[in-house]
Amino acid sequence: MNIRINHINKMEGHAGFMASVIKGDVKSAKLEVHEGIRLIEGILIGRYYKDMPIIAQRICGICPVVHNLTSIKAVENAMGVKVTNETVNLRKLLEWGQIIHSHALHLFFLSLADFLDIENDLNLVKKYPEETKKAIKVREYGMAIVKIVGGRVVHPLTNETGGFKKVPKLEDIQKLISQSEEVLPVALELGEFFKKIKLPDFSRESEYVCLNKEGEYAIYDGDVISNKGLHIPVKKFEQNFQELQRPQEIIKRVKSDSESSYMIGAIARINNQSRKLDTVAEKYFESLGYKLPDYNPFHNILYQMVEVVQAVEESLKLLKILANSHLENALTRNYEIKGGEGVAAVEAPRGTLYYYVDIDDKGYIKNLNIITPTAQFLSHLEDDIAAYLPRIFDLSDKEKEKKLRAFIRAYDPCISCAVH
Amino acid sequence: MKETKTNPKIAIVSLTSCEGCQFVLLDLGEKFLSLMDQVEMVDFRLLEDEEDKGDPLDIGIVEGNPVTEDNVKTLKSLRDRSKVLIVLGNCAAMGGIPEVKNYQEGKGTIKHVYKYLQGITNPEIKEVDNFVEVDFTFPGCPITGEEFLYYFERIIETVKKGNLSGLPEIPDQPVCIQCRKLGNRCLLLDKKPCFGPMILGGCNAVCPTSRMVCQGCRGLRPKGNVEAMKQMFRKQEMMTDQEFEDTTEIYGLRDNISELESK
Repeated sequence: MNIRINHINKMEGHAGFMASVIKGDVKSAKLEVHEGIRLIEGILIGRYYKDMPIIAQRICGICPVVHNLTSIKAVENAMGVKVTNETVNLRKLLEWGQIIHSHALHLFFLSLADFLDIENDLNLVKKYPEETKKAIKVREYGMAIVKIVGGRVVHPLTNETGGFKKVPKLEDIQKLISQSEEVLPVALELGEFFKKIKLPDFSRESEYVCLNKEGEYAIYDGDVISNKGLHIPVKKFEQNFQELQRPQEIIKRVKSDSESSYMIGAIARINNQSRKLDTVAEKYFESLGYKLPDYNPFHNILYQMVEVVQAVEESLKLLKILANSHLENALTRNYEIKGGEGVAAVEAPRGTLYYYVDIDDKGYIKNLNIITPTAQFLSHLEDDIAAYLPRIFDLSDKEKEKKLRAFIRAYDPCISCAVH
Repeated sequence: MKETKTNPKIAIVSLTSCEGCQFVLLDLGEKFLSLMDQVEMVDFRLLEDEEDKGDPLDIGIVEGNPVTEDNVKTLKSLRDRSKVLIVLGNCAAMGGIPEVKNYQEGKGTIKHVYKYLQGITNPEIKEVDNFVEVDFTFPGCPITGEEFLYYFERIIETVKKGNLSGLPEIPDQPVCIQCRKLGNRCLLLDKKPCFGPMILGGCNAVCPTSRMVCQGCRGLRPKGNVEAMKQMFRKQEMMTDQEFEDTTEIYGLRDNISELESK
């Protein structure tokens, strides 16, 4: 028996799915990528370092912020550029804003309909007008952060090597503070709505990887850790996680030293870092009643909801700090252009995003490598589906297809990022 | 075409891209949803799972680069079934970031990325209008949401009236017009090589407003003076000719400029 889905809608990028089952045994389960290549890494080789964030963030229209942040951090690490606390705080704020609007989009507009038996979001918004308003309100707060700090939501403009070209005005920060205070209860109401959704029961133990930093729910920096005892600095990332290209495949998969596929993203971060959640997010997380370790990939959706609450709380903290600091300290400082190698990792909405860059003495890029979240969890997704398939063998073809779409979308894959 | 009272049938389709232009539409939030009340959405795969039966369309909207054979097929079939074909964004209109590889030496870009090249389609990047006829272009990387709302309403009206010669046009104005209205300090005064004067405005000068130089993602305006721009950058030591050329590669301006120069 072959199970084929030509195109999986409602996710970023183009892919289908193919599984082959012989006498009840799943022989293969594979995402089939229908994206064209863009060769972003190849394009950047030979170009000036300043082009790197501009070009690299265009890998993805939904998470450009995190590509912008990670490429700038990698360049700064390569050239030994130091930035101020104000710069770091504005960048963290940008990333929380990114997480809010990406998660809110996925939660509500890409995944939710799967569990309500609705095929078109235009029907979803008609059936749930109040919840739609709430989802849009939460999402708009995340977008407002990125717009005010970054200058634009899709492909931000202000952040650069050494700091920011322009910093927000104090009154804009204050506006965001009141928006944040308004949004927190709305996010929780949305969270209550999501709690009522019945998610399938399925779990398969595996390795969960994310950044970790003492004293904070790490998204912007830290070491790379896993629930299986991994603990390495980011500069050893490529020693532990190797890209490999299989013939005919345009996504380079990532193999961990542990030889098995691994998971990243909201579910991995919550599993590894839940004790560091802020007060309200922690309370909401506890109210879900999920026991850790939790290996049910469908719960990724609710963990994204936990992270939305966390992001609202964290962004409010950062905004309050910024309101009392000298914002102009975040304006780009003079620095020396020099050669060197640099790495950086930031938690993207979908998991750890890694950049490596090697720059020559004049500031031109000699080499670089980008390892995206979806490329990392692709094999884990396929391994999960192979384990899940036998449970749905008896369903009709149409039902099977629905279940598989819901499964794949719960992972929130971004095929544009994975291929880049 | 006849005048109609029913809502126009539309589809939004993406080829190889970052999909950022589609997200600009979604990011319009309630404004986007109320726009959807004025149309019949036949296919928009970011929002629905329903099967597209391939019915004729009034307006086909396409984003991205035709890179794979499937991309080209999708594009051609969208053109065949649409009365009006609209292009979203810099990739579709000008080649965008993926076009940079066209300018790189020896076409070796792919070798930096892949070990096994067999089975990977790696064509030279060509804009959508090399494959099909285009009726209206929303420029930019990404497109500007407010500009989309403004012109799309007019396109809907035109389609309803049934007279396609009434399709709107974006006026030939530089980025500087809106930039000045916003009270921004001109980046050129600070010796920053901003392409604003030669580039088609309508983006609300979003880059210069963030103190980012315009790098031309909306394309040359018909009256844009490339030579004067280049000379100024050279004379005032803002940018060498080589740096100018490198920068024009980012959003696929370089081939448009060479075309102009060869005329």
